[in-house]
Amino acid sequence: MAPNPRKRKAVTRDVPAASNSEEELADGLLDGILSHSEGESDADHEEDAESDTSSVIEGLSDEDEEDEEDGAAFSDTDPKDGEGDIREQMRKLTTRDATVRLSGVDHALDRDSRPLADGELDEQDDESLQRNYTVTTDANGNPRYLYREIDPVYESDDSDAPETTNTIGNIPLTYYDEYPHIGYDINGKKIQRPAKGEALDALLDQIDIPKGWTGLTDPATGKPLNLSEEELDVLKRLTRNEVVEDGYDPYPEMVHYFSGKLEVMPLSAAPEPKRRFVPSKHEAKRVMKIVKAIREGRIQPYKPPSEEEEEEERVYYDVWADEKPRPENSMHLAAPKLPPPGYDASYHPPREYLPDKNEEAAWLAADEEDREKDYLPKNYEALRKVPGYERFVKERFERSLDLYLAPRVRRNKLNIDPESLLPKLPNPEDLKPFPTTCAAIFRGQEGRVRSVSFDPQGIFVASGGDDGYVRIWELLTGRQVWNVKLSDEDAVDAVKWRPTKDASILAAAAGESVYLIVPYSILSPDVEQASRDILDAGWGYAASKPSTTTNGVTKEPPGKWARPGGKFESKGVLVQATVRSMVKIINWHRKGDYFATVSPRGQSSAVAIHTLSKHLTQLPFRRLKGIAQTAQFHPSKAIFFVATRNTIRSYDLAKQELVKILQPGAKWISSIDVHPGGDNIIVGTYDKRLLWHDLDLSTKPYKTLRFHQEAIRAVRFHQGGLPLFADASDDGSLQIFHGKVVGDLMENATIVPLKVLKGHKVKSRLGVMDVDWHPREPWCVSAGADGTCRLWN
Amino acid sequence: MDPKPEVKVPVRLSTRDPSIQLAQEPGPLLVQTTLKRPQLSALVNSLLRPDDKAIPFDILINGQFLRTTIDEFLTNNGISAETTLDVEYTRALVPPLNVTSFEHDDWVSAVDVLSASSASGVWSGGNVQSRQERILSASYDGLVRVWDMSGNVLATSEAPNNGGRITSLKSAKWISDKKIVAAGMDNVVRMYKYDEDTRTITPSVELFSHRWGVEDVAVHGPSNRILSASADTTISVFSSNAKENPSPPTELLPSSNAASNKRQKLSKPDKTVSARGPLIKLSGHASPVSSVVFKPDDATVAYSASHDHSLKTWDLPTSTCVDTRSTGHSLLSLGALPKLNLLATGTSARHITLIDPRASATQISVMTLRGHKNAVVSLDVDPTSDYSLLSGSHDGTVQIWDVRSVRQSEVQGEGQVGESMYTIYRDSAKGRPSHSHGEDVKVFGVRWDKEVGIVSVGEDKKVQINRPVGS
Repeated sequence: MAPNPRKRKAVTRDVPAASNSEEELADGLLDGILSHSEGESDADHEEDAESDTSSVIEGLSDEDEEDEEDGAAFSDTDPKDGEGDIREQMRKLTTRDATVRLSGVDHALDRDSRPLADGELDEQDDESLQRNYTVTTDANGNPRYLYREIDPVYESDDSDAPETTNTIGNIPLTYYDEYPHIGYDINGKKIQRPAKGEALDALLDQIDIPKGWTGLTDPATGKPLNLSEEELDVLKRLTRNEVVEDGYDPYPEMVHYFSGKLEVMPLSAAPEPKRRFVPSKHEAKRVMKIVKAIREGRIQPYKPPSEEEEEEERVYYDVWADEKPRPENSMHLAAPKLPPPGYDASYHPPREYLPDKNEEAAWLAADEEDREKDYLPKNYEALRKVPGYERFVKERFERSLDLYLAPRVRRNKLNIDPESLLPKLPNPEDLKPFPTTCAAIFRGQEGRVRSVSFDPQGIFVASGGDDGYVRIWELLTGRQVWNVKLSDEDAVDAVKWRPTKDASILAAAAGESVYLIVPYSILSPDVEQASRDILDAGWGYAASKPSTTTNGVTKEPPGKWARPGGKFESKGVLVQATVRSMVKIINWHRKGDYFATVSPRGQSSAVAIHTLSKHLTQLPFRRLKGIAQTAQFHPSKAIFFVATRNTIRSYDLAKQELVKILQPGAKWISSIDVHPGGDNIIVGTYDKRLLWHDLDLSTKPYKTLRFHQEAIRAVRFHQGGLPLFADASDDGSLQIFHGKVVGDLMENATIVPLKVLKGHKVKSRLGVMDVDWHPREPWCVSAGADGTCRLWN
Repeated sequence: MDPKPEVKVPVRLSTRDPSIQLAQEPGPLLVQTTLKRPQLSALVNSLLRPDDKAIPFDILINGQFLRTTIDEFLTNNGISAETTLDVEYTRALVPPLNVTSFEHDDWVSAVDVLSASSASGVWSGGNVQSRQERILSASYDGLVRVWDMSGNVLATSEAPNNGGRITSLKSAKWISDKKIVAAGMDNVVRMYKYDEDTRTITPSVELFSHRWGVEDVAVHGPSNRILSASADTTISVFSSNAKENPSPPTELLPSSNAASNKRQKLSKPDKTVSARGPLIKLSGHASPVSSVVFKPDDATVAYSASHDHSLKTWDLPTSTCVDTRSTGHSLLSLGALPKLNLLATGTSARHITLIDPRASATQISVMTLRGHKNAVVSLDVDPTSDYSLLSGSHDGTVQIWDVRSVRQSEVQGEGQVGESMYTIYRDSAKGRPSHSHGEDVKVFGVRWDKEVGIVSVGEDKKVQINRPVGS
């Protein structure tokens, strides 16, 4: 009784819904229904459409059909339910093609059942057509066919055919609404309506909805329609807009048609088509056509056009006639020319070019940048066995990087032979003689040797050092022939022979005193007498003319001349001249009557000029700018050079005026020497430089020679006519230079480094302290901080 | 070239030494070119005296010593194997070995040998017996000493009283077995009398002439001439007969100036030695004269070498300079090779230059002998050979040279270039590597005597005697 009110309700409500759907599905659906109801003419089309959809949908739509009647209550009662909403949608969807599906199903049923039935019928027509049924008369007297139970024999089994679950035929269930059964089976027996759960069951079902529960009844079986796992999956995919088909891979692995794999079979095993080897009839036809045309004269053979014609017709304008070869664009950069590949770059190199295991391991172990070549020679039997170049991409990448990161730039190369830029210096071999080797070592002094000097004869060398001794040595043998101890405290800072040959007088400075010595022991009596006479001439001169100012106040003379005392005099030290501060430098005037002393700490009395014949000391400068380092007389003129730390000044002694200020640009001048010609000065500095000044050129050095590692202590020109000069440095070496001065004013001096003389040891950062040249020969003597003097020749 | 196993070359043997002359001229011999000196020496020995003790010979082909195989020699000199080679054989120079050393108190500057065959021995008129050789050494302490061959000092001179001056001697020579001349840095040439019996050396006369030290003296016995070369650029000629010399120049006497006289008086001279002046004073050099020699066969001609790079020829009777040869370097020593008419001079540039002093000679330097590392300060000639030289150098070596063993130099004007045959190192150097500066082992004087051997003295305060083994 319950279904009835529901049913009625549904019917009443059904009309507008139907109209709605009719509106929605205006053409297709109704057409389909119509067409279907009309006949099976469109069955093919339907079938096509249906074949695309799965059978699940079929079932679903089938169910819908049934649900039209009683499922409406759902939508009525619980329209707000989400599930119901979906169902509603689904229903709408299905209503659209429900009939289509239904008809599809029908058709499918037809198709499935009919052939079977027909087949059987056909067979049975042959054998026992009559036995299939028996005709009896029913209650109304109408014949009634009583069909026999079908014996499902083996042949009848058709397991391939889909299992049919609907056994009631293609009849709407609504027909049986009034009845307890829902149809009849093939044997005409009633099929009972499946038992419906009680209300409690329905509630339980609602509470505990099993998976796949739809709340619908299968129209075909009358059982509750539950969706299977697969169907749920399909639905899920549909809602996600995914491809429904199971196992579909949207991103399959790419299969290369032309892979590196060796294919056993060719792409096609088809035999050669005939056309490949049978002459083409079509072509023959065309050829024949042409032949015919030639024969008939329709085609003329090629005739070279006459020259006139050609000339007339064609006028060529040579656009590039005036083109001259232009130099390449300035930005053009030719690629560097690579060396041609060698044997080892071959794919099949000779065996000797192949690396052995060690080499290969070393190559592999080495860093890529350290490898000598970026490939390893490998041997392949044939060119076709050479694999692809595995570093292809990497190399291209690197080349691109090179182009990007290291663009080629044209370097403007000066097209000058570098040799031509170098000054044309003569070969040192051609400038011989000059000292090259150490010929003798003068040992015997303690402490540093501060100063050396050759006697004017060139037989003896005098040296003075830290031990307070003045020593005289025989030149060639290095034999010490004479010595005297001048001072216990002070070092002998300077020794200098008086530069004349008539007498033999040695000046030595120790402390504040200058001692004038006649080393009689090595002199013959007449030379000794001459020397004594020179020294003694001045006695009494100072006493007779006491230096008094106009006021009559006795002013302390700048230098005191005295006899040094008996002990000294017995050794030949005859005169002692004392100035106000420590004397570091002694330089004689060429005539031997004057000598200049420099005491750097003596401020106004720093430079003193002493007159030997008068035993007189004079201070030429009232105030000297800077600290005096050294002073020297001009070799021929009455000019006096004074070097302070930074500058060298030359003074005219006769006119009492400043002549020139030289700016060597040095930080601290250590020594200077004037060329015997008088126009050039060499300057040694503590900042390691040797500077050559040409007095005629400028106040700046003509040449700067920087070859020493340490300070230069002494510089010296050869005084005997050889174009040589030497410097002595704290790095323990002497350097010998060729310095030729030409009388011609147009030509500059030639300076050639000749030789580095090494031998002195560096002691407490002091190397060679002094150097002096032999008066005639290319020999020089150096004084070292290591306590030796050395003769170089 | 097909490699012939045996190439033979014709040689003609000859020698300049009559004592080893072959009895009869063997004519050209065919010898294999693979032979070296010892085989050829054996060949000569077998021809010369098959039974006797073999003498080692040196082989000279075309004036050059054979040091390789004949084949290589021919290849190197571009000589065809077809030509007959003139092979000269000479007694091989046996490497001299150190025999003995005589110790001194101070550096020894000069040495001379008195033996039967030495010049002084010859001038003594046969007074010198064999085994009675005497060695004279001059030292920097100012003393001359006479040694016998056992290394005993037979006599030592007394230090001269020269007014407190340095007395270091630079040169000493035997004039005869009784007379010695020595000179040094006190500018005086002294003659001594040597008495073999009393073993005393007494000064006989002091010869004053020089204002600076005397570097070298040369003596000639028969003409009684003494030459002295001095650093004052002059050469003085004295007579060994004291009385022939004139009175001395007074300004050079130690007593000439007050201070010196006082010093001399203070040192209390017991006896005065007579003083004499020079016969002739030869001046012409511009720099100290380092060495002087008489012409070996003519005592009226002297040669002198000087620091001024020149070698001068002096005619003594006229006391004029006949010829001047200028070289490129300071000359420090001089020696005469009589047979070859050559003068050997040692230079400060570490080589020996051979100079032909004859006026007709066009080339300044005939030959240059290179090998020393320092100045060559002493030279002597081989008493047994006309071609060998002995040189002592400041590098501490004594070297023996053969002027035949030379080659043509590439340098123009240098003449031929030779290399030393043997080098004698100082015994006191004890195998230390020789430095160019020759510190402590400088050689100052050498003498080569037939009997005594090679005598050299030097900075190591020793007289070192080397003698070839077996001679």
